[in-house]
Amino acid sequence: MTETLPRLGRARAALVRPWLLLAPALAVLAVLLLWPLVRVFLFSLQDYGLREITTGEPNWIGTANYAEILASPELWTVVLPNTVGFAVLSVAGTVAFGTGVAVLLASLGTFWRTVTSSAIMAAWAMPAVTGTYVWVWIFDADRGVFNDVLMGLGLLDDPTNWFTNRWTFYAIVLLNVIHHGFPFVAVTVLAGLLGVPKEMLEAAEMDGAGSFRRFFSIVVPQLRQVFAVVIILSTIWDFKVFAQVYLMPGGAGSNRSVLNLGVWSYVESFGQNRYGFGSAIAVLLTLLLLVVTAVYVRTVLAEEER
Amino acid sequence: MSTTRPLVRPEVSTGRRPLRRSGRRSSRRSPLRQLGKGVLVALLLVFTLFPVYWMLNSSLDAQAGHTSSFWPAEPTLDHYVFVLTEGGFGTFLRNSLLVALGTVLISSALALLASVAVARFRFRMRTQILMLVLIVQMVPLEALVIPLFVQVRDLQLLETLTGLIVVYVALALPFGIWMLRGFVAAVPVELEEAAYLDGASWGRMFWSVLLPLVAPGLVATSIFSFITAWNEFIFAMTMLGGATENYTVAIGLRSFFGVHSNDWGAIMAASTIITVPVMIFFILVQRRLASGLTAGAVKE
Repeated sequence: MTETLPRLGRARAALVRPWLLLAPALAVLAVLLLWPLVRVFLFSLQDYGLREITTGEPNWIGTANYAEILASPELWTVVLPNTVGFAVLSVAGTVAFGTGVAVLLASLGTFWRTVTSSAIMAAWAMPAVTGTYVWVWIFDADRGVFNDVLMGLGLLDDPTNWFTNRWTFYAIVLLNVIHHGFPFVAVTVLAGLLGVPKEMLEAAEMDGAGSFRRFFSIVVPQLRQVFAVVIILSTIWDFKVFAQVYLMPGGAGSNRSVLNLGVWSYVESFGQNRYGFGSAIAVLLTLLLLVVTAVYVRTVLAEEER
Repeated sequence: MSTTRPLVRPEVSTGRRPLRRSGRRSSRRSPLRQLGKGVLVALLLVFTLFPVYWMLNSSLDAQAGHTSSFWPAEPTLDHYVFVLTEGGFGTFLRNSLLVALGTVLISSALALLASVAVARFRFRMRTQILMLVLIVQMVPLEALVIPLFVQVRDLQLLETLTGLIVVYVALALPFGIWMLRGFVAAVPVELEEAAYLDGASWGRMFWSVLLPLVAPGLVATSIFSFITAWNEFIFAMTMLGGATENYTVAIGLRSFFGVHSNDWGAIMAASTIITVPVMIFFILVQRRLASGLTAGAVKE
């Protein structure tokens, strides 16, 4: 990009103008994102409850909230495993499945590619809220089609409630999140795949490289940037998955064995009015994601500098 | 994407075994391979579309919630009629539309101005501001529910649609700036210079040169912020509290869940009403969506 200032008279305007253009956006970001970010940290150092919200007076307790969280066995046996374990499985599942779909799409003719990618768009467009309700309905204990089919096939004697068990609960969340998340990966990777020079692939094919070899030694290195973005964004989304857990039966806090960091923070705050404690959980979640974010920023800015 | 990376390793391009080529070509079109591909496509379509189909199926079946059948056992539109009249879903739809349109208008305007600043001007702190936008985009917004709740409460905007719009503008803005920046940067500077040479002011150039060229990017970011506002759940639930008359569609759905039994026919009909407009949007813009994503997020 070159500067668009051929004349002297524009020099001063050019100093002021970018700031004028930025001012409204920066004001919104400062008041509604940056200040809350500071505030969530300030709340986390207080016993912040209904009284503090109403009076606006601080009630400092130092790091007591953090000490309570870190000393809570629930964090180590339930919440953290649910959050991290789920994120790892769903990122791996989403990226692997999405990439597989992208490769399949790239090998199809125009007609079937249009049909398939329209179907993928439909899955993508399904809002998290309605998508979650549909999966809950499919796996419903009494009338869900999943139980009906299993019983019809003789694989199941009595209707099973899949939402009470921690593992089956998260298996359903996983299905939901992969179904909702793979289209982004598929579409992004497909765009990258179509950009890989055909000559390279043909040259490798002439050399006798099989399709796996071609994929892993030519396509993957070419798409390093695309994969970095897709993996990091999926990680961020899957760490803080909320509605897909909260809206499931028992997911809003009544079944404590399925809590994750986001839901735990929410039910402590708005269920128990322990806004300070909930804020401390939110800060921990943010710190966890900050590590991932740092990697993302470095990747994107590295690309920018080229 | 990259122009500096070595494209072809020397040993790859020598073409030592030309005979293998024709063999591989024909194997790619072999019937077995085509069949395998067909099976994969079929499985993918089933996995992708089954939840969508099941939602439609239940919404159209008077027996939904009593017996499960793979097509409507007793086809009816009653669930839709119930949802839109007695269910009060018409109000929720109106609220969602107002909130989404307000969010689109305000966030697009702010994002466009800011993206022009970062894409067209070199000034001190430009990199820092870009970094800031990127970082706030990565902040888990769910973690900000508590302070934003207090903030909106202090502004006395709890349980109002205005309060919700304010929050959604903040949610949509960072992505909008980041994405539009790519579109603005892609407009050739020569066009702007030509406008200046013709004696146009900066404002004139903005309206008649830049804006029309960035329009596709604006469409993309508008759709993104519309869908953000339309689908958003956690802030709507928190900010609107008990003000049922101001509920958006995403939280209005919960009114069809009973204490003892859920009206699945109504829930699926309401879900269909929420989902279909978004789906049509997505399918219509799919090509633009892919290029927009790569232009904005990956910067190809």
